Amino acid sequence: MATISIKNLAHAIYESSCGKDGAELDRVVQNTIHLISQKHLMNKSKEILASLEKIIDKNEEIVRATISSRVKLEKKIINEIEDFIKKRYKAKNTVLEFKIDEKLLGGIKIEIGDEIIDTTLKSKIHKLENYLITQ
Amino acid sequence: MTKNYIVENLKKQIEKFKDEVKAEKVGHVIEVFDGIAKISGLSDIKASEMVSFPNGERGVALNLEEDSVGVIILGDFSKIHEGDEVKATGQILSVPVSDLQIGRVLNALGMPIDGKGAIKTDKSNPIEKVAPGVITRLSVNQAVQTGIKAIDALIPIGRGQRELIIGDRQTGKTAIAIDAILNQKGQDMICVYVSIGQKDSKLRKLQTRLEEGGAMDYTIIVSAGSSESAALSYIAPYTGVSIAEYFMDQGRDVLIIYDDLSKHAVAYREISLLLRRPPGREAFPGDVFYLHSRLLERACRRNKEYGGGSITALPIIETQSGDVSAYIPTNVISITDGQIFLETDLFYKGIRPAVNVGLSVSRVGSSAQIKAMKKVSGTLKLDLAQFRELEAFAQFGSDLDEGTKNQLERGKRAVEMLKQPQYAPVKTEDQVVALYALTKGHMDDIAVDKIKSFEEGLVDYARRNAKTFYKEVTTEKMWTDVGEQELIKVIGEFKGGFNK
Repeated sequence: MATISIKNLAHAIYESSCGKDGAELDRVVQNTIHLISQKHLMNKSKEILASLEKIIDKNEEIVRATISSRVKLEKKIINEIEDFIKKRYKAKNTVLEFKIDEKLLGGIKIEIGDEIIDTTLKSKIHKLENYLITQ
Repeated sequence: MTKNYIVENLKKQIEKFKDEVKAEKVGHVIEVFDGIAKISGLSDIKASEMVSFPNGERGVALNLEEDSVGVIILGDFSKIHEGDEVKATGQILSVPVSDLQIGRVLNALGMPIDGKGAIKTDKSNPIEKVAPGVITRLSVNQAVQTGIKAIDALIPIGRGQRELIIGDRQTGKTAIAIDAILNQKGQDMICVYVSIGQKDSKLRKLQTRLEEGGAMDYTIIVSAGSSESAALSYIAPYTGVSIAEYFMDQGRDVLIIYDDLSKHAVAYREISLLLRRPPGREAFPGDVFYLHSRLLERACRRNKEYGGGSITALPIIETQSGDVSAYIPTNVISITDGQIFLETDLFYKGIRPAVNVGLSVSRVGSSAQIKAMKKVSGTLKLDLAQFRELEAFAQFGSDLDEGTKNQLERGKRAVEMLKQPQYAPVKTEDQVVALYALTKGHMDDIAVDKIKSFEEGLVDYARRNAKTFYKEVTTEKMWTDVGEQELIKVIGEFKGGFNK
């Protein structure tokens, strides 16, 4: 039995369910679950879901970002950040998650996928520390 | 006043500090064990790119997989935790290089570990570099004098050559390398000794020995001790050769010793297995040949147009009970330009250095030998080969004809002459005198147990009395009939006195 990679499976689920609704979608979901259990991949369901999420994000041009700051951000700043992300990653939609972290001291930190834009005071102080040590 | 001074200084430095905000690619540690970390993210990382961990430790990306990166951690991995943020630096691992490194003991990352303070330098070389190409090279035609008679006469090493020293444990492999370093005094040669997985006590002893011999004035020691991680053992030889290349780029000649590459291969095997690369023969990974070939290929002699200079490599391989057909020994034998084969049996017979002259070869060195040495060593090899053949044969009976007896006697004297204590390198011209006397039969009537004292006396006498000969051999690198006649006369004179 050829093994199916999780990525391929997620792709297949996306392709077969794309643009469908109602009873048709229900059938697809049923078949998918049947296939997964048949191939003994139930224990990988979390990974399949994560992979599926990535594929959907990519195709629908959604960018997920985590924004950390010391205090709660104002509406105006949030809009600015959203515009910036949309422009930089050529995305149609954004899903923003906000975190409050007092240890950052100031500034904001934006995490998108494996990219980080760090403008926090904490990282600046850290960089200054390294700079002074190497001088 | 000092307080103000410090504050002012700090202010100035802080003013100079500029911070740029830019998007950085980061990953997160998924798992970490035995000096290996698996990292998610880091989608743009290159092969063998350096990464940095939050506690300042560095790592090298070796495995690039679909959605994770396998990294070896250079240094302490006990403080790295799951979920730590890892940054890609965008640089290939490089080590600092400097003239000030001469006389120092460095770790595998090029940092001093001898407690003599930091080395300030702004230059660095990447540890992985493609070896110089064909166009830039020159054939080997200049000798490296090791000061060991058996090697300089029979298995000569040229500048830019790669000569393997192979043998069981406790056969004097390191001793040959150390003697070679000691003999480079005043020969305008930089020596790099790379110690891989050796005991720290051994290294310390060796360093003291080199200091006593005045050899630390031109030697750099790079050490990855046995208590350090396999990752450091793996990169140490590359660090050594990068430092060597720095000096070669200045047009200088460098002698580099890798002690030893079998431990290096074992360290690489450990890393590869932990990274889940498929094991092959003796559980070594598939690219273990390339591991050593790319390292040793960096030894070369460059021509004048490309800056000159050379790197001579003496890799050391330890065999298990004389088995040269194991995986790593055969690999390295085929990569190098010859090997010096050391044997336990010879060692315990008292023939030291325990070089097996029959199995040892130098594929390119003979063109590097000076004329005088070539003249005297040609027949020596033949004498020894015939002696070995007859020695076995002569054990069956004592009734031998005159010719055979003579050959046996000559052979015994040759073996005796090639014995040499440790840390006692002999100058090339002295070697020539002694070997000339031997191969031309001037020693045939000297008792075997007196050979050593005869040799010493003769060399001393010839130094004082055969001035023309010495001048020709040392400064003009020539061999003339006039010099030879003078040498014959001097040998005759000395022999007259010695026999009385």
